[in-house]
Amino acid sequence: MSRVAIVGIGHSKFGKRTDVNVAELAFESIKQAVSDAGVDKKDIKNVVVGSAGGWYEESLPAVIVNEYAGLNSVGTMRVEAACASGSAAVKAAYNSIVSGEGDVAMAVGVEKMTEVDTLTSVELIGRAGSYMWEFENYGMTFPAYYALYAVAHMNKFGTTEEDMSRVAVKAHHYGAMNPMAQFQKEITLEKALNSQVVSWPLKLYDACPLTDGSAAVVLASEDVARKLTDSPVWIKGVGYSSDSANLSKRSDYVGLEATVEAAKRAYLSAKIRPDQVDVATCHDCFTIAELMAYEDLGFCKKGDGAKLIREGQTEVGGRIPVNLDGGLKAKGHPIGATGVSMMVEVTKQLRQEAGSHQASIKNGIGLVHNVGGTGHYAYVTVLSRN
Amino acid sequence: MAEEPVLHSRRTLTLRFNIPIGKTHEFWDALKQGRFVTTKCSTCGNVCFPPQADCPKCMGDKLEWVELGRDATLVTYTYVQITPASFADSDPYIIAIGELSNGIKVLAWLEGVQPDKARPGMKLRVDTRTSKEGSPYYVFVPV
Ligand SMILES: [Zn+2]
Ligand SMILES: [Zn+2]
Repeated sequence: MSRVAIVGIGHSKFGKRTDVNVAELAFESIKQAVSDAGVDKKDIKNVVVGSAGGWYEESLPAVIVNEYAGLNSVGTMRVEAACASGSAAVKAAYNSIVSGEGDVAMAVGVEKMTEVDTLTSVELIGRAGSYMWEFENYGMTFPAYYALYAVAHMNKFGTTEEDMSRVAVKAHHYGAMNPMAQFQKEITLEKALNSQVVSWPLKLYDACPLTDGSAAVVLASEDVARKLTDSPVWIKGVGYSSDSANLSKRSDYVGLEATVEAAKRAYLSAKIRPDQVDVATCHDCFTIAELMAYEDLGFCKKGDGAKLIREGQTEVGGRIPVNLDGGLKAKGHPIGATGVSMMVEVTKQLRQEAGSHQASIKNGIGLVHNVGGTGHYAYVTVLSRN
Repeated sequence: MAEEPVLHSRRTLTLRFNIPIGKTHEFWDALKQGRFVTTKCSTCGNVCFPPQADCPKCMGDKLEWVELGRDATLVTYTYVQITPASFADSDPYIIAIGELSNGIKVLAWLEGVQPDKARPGMKLRVDTRTSKEGSPYYVFVPV
């Protein structure tokens, strides 16, 4: 089986981007990724676009994005795995190379979430569970989904609202160092704790914002990657899984089974243990999600997520630095772009190009954890310098 | 910085779905009569909630309707204060997941409890309601 490497990365500024439409936004990342890879764009045979869609005027974003960028007659499709659409796009592009369809492929993630008003956005995301049994009569929202997990986690393990706020403070600390982040301002624990309640116990600062953004990665087969770059970042293993849409069918509410399963498969295919990971991005759409991810990915024991953040183990210099780009919380969460954005960040970290927020890289191994919905989908991708 | 020029599109889109419920309409009919029922597979005995016309365990399609029981224990909950656009005229609500005595879990609003008085482990009962448009639905109430 051919090995596949990330050879080019691109990332737009995340935020409320009223200055660009969806194609222009995607182009910002595509242009950088193609130039960073040093490929001729006519050698890219397959472009997979990750986008949940529905928030912006274009219904068929893949062709719109390719047409604008002059990527003519490429194989293409839009993939959807909710907030994990970006990782799914990378996986699909990876598959096309592994299967021998071509030597170079690109994954583009893009979402434009601020063209509709905020409560319509809340509605669109809230409908993303089991519509008939959770939305029609009960008006579920995404904060509400994760709040159900937060209450169960607090009840079982003694995790506190303060612990969750600590995740937000860390996110904003690193977001302040990332020029691409939506929020580039530090916050205090008090500010996070006293922010408006959205769905108790989750508050405004426990939740990621609505974001416009894009990211892109160019992937290449081993032969081509070696020619293009001295610092390929290999896709060492991918694990993915899913779980029920309807939350009432989950066995418990203290972790995401889809993450546990995806991680198990990723570690197995990459032949690594969680303690070998130097740096990770975890899906922190809500602060509680980051704490559960520490546990579900095996960075600590089940129930010890809060301990990890209290001890500062997930900061630079800690045992396992997480979300040094500000995470979904501060960098922003343009749904389909998020997974690709995570790949960009971990690639930068492994290339030692992360500047002020560089983690120390000992084993050359990074991990991308991308959840769709409330653990409806989960993708774990292991990246490596070796 | 000046506001970026934006085209406010003139073409609006209202979506309203007609959702087929023919295969499990007995659930909603029973709810209207104040009963809380679900499907049980006649082939393998698997009990499903929400009700399903086809058995996810053995893929059989012979089912019978059984009473679910009303007693539940609160597993987890949240107090939703920012509600979606289509719930704009609703007051904030508590969404709870309760576990029935047969182990089946149900998600519904929890009514009749102050949000700060809800606790995992508290005893609940499933109750039936009718929306102002006339649709039946179910909620939890404290015992
Ligand atoms: Zn998400
Ligand atoms: Zn059956």
